[in-house]
Amino acid sequence: MPNEPTQNRKESATDEPPPVGGSWTTLYAAVLLNLAALVVLFYLFTRAFG
Amino acid sequence: MRTLDWIVLLAAMAGIVAYGLWKGRRTRDLDDFLVADRRQRWHHVALSIMATQASAITFLSTPGQAFTDGMRFVQFYLGLPVAMVVLSITAVPIYQRLKVYTAYEYLEGRFDLKTRTLAAALFLVQRGLSTGVSIYAPSVILSVIMGWDIRVVILIIGASVMLYASLGGARAVDNANFLQFLIIMGGMIVAFVTLVRLLPADVSFLEATRVAGKLGRLNAIDFSFDIHNQYNFWSGLVGGCFLALSYFGTDQSQVQRYLTGESIAQSRLGLLFNGLVKVPMQFFILFIGATVFAFYQFTQPPVFFNPVEAEHARTGQHGAQFRAIESEYAAAFEAKRAAALGYVGALRSGDAAATETAAQTLKAAQERAGTVRAGAIEIVKEFDAKPSDANYVFLSFVTRYLPAGVVGLVLAAVFLASMSSTASEWSALAGTSVVDIQRRLVRRGAGDRYYFVSSKLATAFWGLFAVLFAQYAGHLGSLIEAVNRLGSLFYGTMLGIFLLAFYFKRVGGTAAFVGAVAGELVVLYCFFFTQVAYLWFNVIGALAVIAAALAVNPLTKRQK
Repeated sequence: MPNEPTQNRKESATDEPPPVGGSWTTLYAAVLLNLAALVVLFYLFTRAFG
Repeated sequence: MRTLDWIVLLAAMAGIVAYGLWKGRRTRDLDDFLVADRRQRWHHVALSIMATQASAITFLSTPGQAFTDGMRFVQFYLGLPVAMVVLSITAVPIYQRLKVYTAYEYLEGRFDLKTRTLAAALFLVQRGLSTGVSIYAPSVILSVIMGWDIRVVILIIGASVMLYASLGGARAVDNANFLQFLIIMGGMIVAFVTLVRLLPADVSFLEATRVAGKLGRLNAIDFSFDIHNQYNFWSGLVGGCFLALSYFGTDQSQVQRYLTGESIAQSRLGLLFNGLVKVPMQFFILFIGATVFAFYQFTQPPVFFNPVEAEHARTGQHGAQFRAIESEYAAAFEAKRAAALGYVGALRSGDAAATETAAQTLKAAQERAGTVRAGAIEIVKEFDAKPSDANYVFLSFVTRYLPAGVVGLVLAAVFLASMSSTASEWSALAGTSVVDIQRRLVRRGAGDRYYFVSSKLATAFWGLFAVLFAQYAGHLGSLIEAVNRLGSLFYGTMLGIFLLAFYFKRVGGTAAFVGAVAGELVVLYCFFFTQVAYLWFNVIGALAVIAAALAVNPLTKRQK
């Protein structure tokens, strides 16, 4: 096993809730829903102008 | 270039260098230099990530791509938001908790030294070579369109970046990236608004957009599946997701950006913001290209957008023929313009049959103009085996038609885009060289001050290497194309190694190493002996690494 400073450093970063949305799961869902909405919009855009 | 353009361009560049130097003036140790003391807020992380990914070529080539091929390239980015979510869940907490300087540092703790060194070496080779191209590619376009000496353009970009990146490190780079990205997007928005105002007074923006759409430039989504097709929904979503996972999760030039976040939450928010806005941003840049296409349906474009190659053709062996084609192209354009106006008139009438007839006439006129242009391209082939003027379309339009001040702003955006991605690359290359190679393999335990100075020198070294590479890149011919493809050959393997590390806890170092070598061989086989579209290399490479490692793992355990 390595004896790098990495392994000696304290695991100091803690998980904390997001500033908006209540939970990380909500934020992840928002990003994925935004993607789904964009795909639908692009499809409608292609149909309307293509 | 008018005086106002020079003022805007020079003020933007000098301002960024000064801002970078000022922000990096308090850089005192290795933590500061490599990860900005892990104090950055999410909006800095987000825009720095986006500025790193969006190179000058993004803003020069993407509109040209929409001009020539339509907007289907936007699908390339569809997998990115998914990757941002996966990395926020997986990579960010691991990297942040371990407080690593580089992504490869984590691999030694998880596997062993040889796997860490292999991953670091793959990054150094791939990114080290491509950083020269990052400067060279936009410099060629700028020098051709503006008539500037390419060596001077390369030197200006290189020297500007070297000043703040080698003195201020990641803190200077990230702060400069933040401001650069705001100026870049501001420049693109101003260019778009001005472009819309340049459309003919008797044709509305919506009507011009409909003309571009009828000629196949607004094809944003294609759900058909074809493994040989680079850009459709499936290759973008799956292949693009694997590429984004690899690029944002294993490429130190991106990992370093979110390692600067002051907490897991700040780093996550930076990535998720990128997941929210990256796709619309690319859509916008492509839409600028489609609007330039619409503009050129009513204003005559050059038959070939690279002015230097067009001039060679005009004065070369087949000059008379080229000039005759230019006259023929002018006549074909007039017919096409009349057809476009006829289509707009038919749209206004609301007569479906007349609109369909006008659309067919417009398409025929477009095809005729395309045939004439193809004749011109054949002549250009005499001195350029693969002539393509897509990269020159946008800047050619900007310098011909945009007003004073806006030209300077767009040029500033191109320079700043080149500087931001280059700065991140040099900073990451320096960090990997010092942390993963020098501190681990060459000189261990030398103290923070030693590695801090080494990092500064390493940044300068990579800057010098990139500038020299860019200066000689013009003589390297097809090697440049090879370097451009290098990333797609390594990313799958890199991702496979990290996926093993994150998700396959029973797999050991030797199995991961063997899997990586086997996966790379599979990717090279696909590259040389199949017609598989390159986005799929990332999927194939990653899965091959995992499969090979899982197969070998029991054998390595038995040996122990």
